[in-house]
Amino acid sequence: MSMMGKIVAVHSYKGGTGKTLISINLAAALAEQGKKVCLFDLDFRAPSLATLLKIEKSECWLNDYLNNVCEIDKVLLDLSERVHDGGKLFVGLANPATEAIRDMSAKDRKWEMRALGRLLALRTSLLNDKRLDYLMLDTSPGLQYSSINAIVSADLVLVATTFDRSDVDGTRRMLRELYDLFEKKTEVVLNKILDVSSKTGKDEIQSKVNDVYQVPLLGIVPCFCDILKARGGIIFSQEKPDHPFTRIMNEMAAKLDKMGQ
Amino acid sequence: MSNQDVAGRKPLQVLEKIRESLERLNEKIEVIIELQKHDRKDVQEPLSDAPLDVMTLLSMPDHLRKTAMTLCRMGRATAEEISEQTKRARAVESAYLNQLVIMRHLKKERNGRKAYFFVDRENQR
Repeated sequence: MSMMGKIVAVHSYKGGTGKTLISINLAAALAEQGKKVCLFDLDFRAPSLATLLKIEKSECWLNDYLNNVCEIDKVLLDLSERVHDGGKLFVGLANPATEAIRDMSAKDRKWEMRALGRLLALRTSLLNDKRLDYLMLDTSPGLQYSSINAIVSADLVLVATTFDRSDVDGTRRMLRELYDLFEKKTEVVLNKILDVSSKTGKDEIQSKVNDVYQVPLLGIVPCFCDILKARGGIIFSQEKPDHPFTRIMNEMAAKLDKMGQ
Repeated sequence: MSNQDVAGRKPLQVLEKIRESLERLNEKIEVIIELQKHDRKDVQEPLSDAPLDVMTLLSMPDHLRKTAMTLCRMGRATAEEISEQTKRARAVESAYLNQLVIMRHLKKERNGRKAYFFVDRENQR
């Protein structure tokens, strides 16, 4: 790990590609590997971290921080007691109240510009001052202001994608017309993939990703029935350490960490 | 040259003033050169409302976006500091920064001889 922490945005072209599942489990896996991690829910149109983490209240929300009515310290919730191996895990939540969602949807360009400034300031307040190793930003899909703000603020963008045709097409366009324009380092995470049990299957997928996206592949996540059955009620990286999904998340976390060295 | 007054001013001060004027003139020439190079297509009419948001960044030509993005990350910087990040010549960055000022995306202020550029997020009209 380098001296300076890293901001990682998790983004996708379409909804339902597993951004939040990957964000939360990758953050937990990094924390389990002893890292100091913070996970932010920047999906203000459909907040979900509060529900998944079973947190009902927060002193302040990320909405308040971006509205400049509180400092980031008031937003952070320390979930380190859920981590087993000495790492730290903090979260910042988006307000799930309907009124808050409506308010965030009605923001103008000037507000978004100031919000970008507040997001950029997190590099100093969280990575420098609090010495976080990772700030992970779970974003909303597509070309929303909040997700582009997150992408601009990030050092690395993880693109969650599936083999759904419209998703592949949209992701490819986004890679060329969004991430490239901002000169962002990008890695792809393929989710819900069938038939990856054999090495040949994995190699074929790897080669397909190289051809289609021309960016590195961080990991392939098969379609797990256990994940569907859990209905978002389990953080696999914390509660199911021996599950194959957790193993994949651990491998991805290790690869991510190696990039910073 | 002796340190006596020349026309009511000390020679050193006069030379300093001339240098400042030449630097400002140089900045203007750099902008003109860059405008010629890019055929003026990238400099839109100044808008009364030109927030430097991500959509504006996306719609910028590549060479200006790189400068604007770097300044966004740094908050406030001189052309020299920007050029260290972008690995482009200081004169080139100075021209791009001044273009962005003309386009009202950035503000500029002087502190002695140094010109600082910044995004005025709070007061941008």
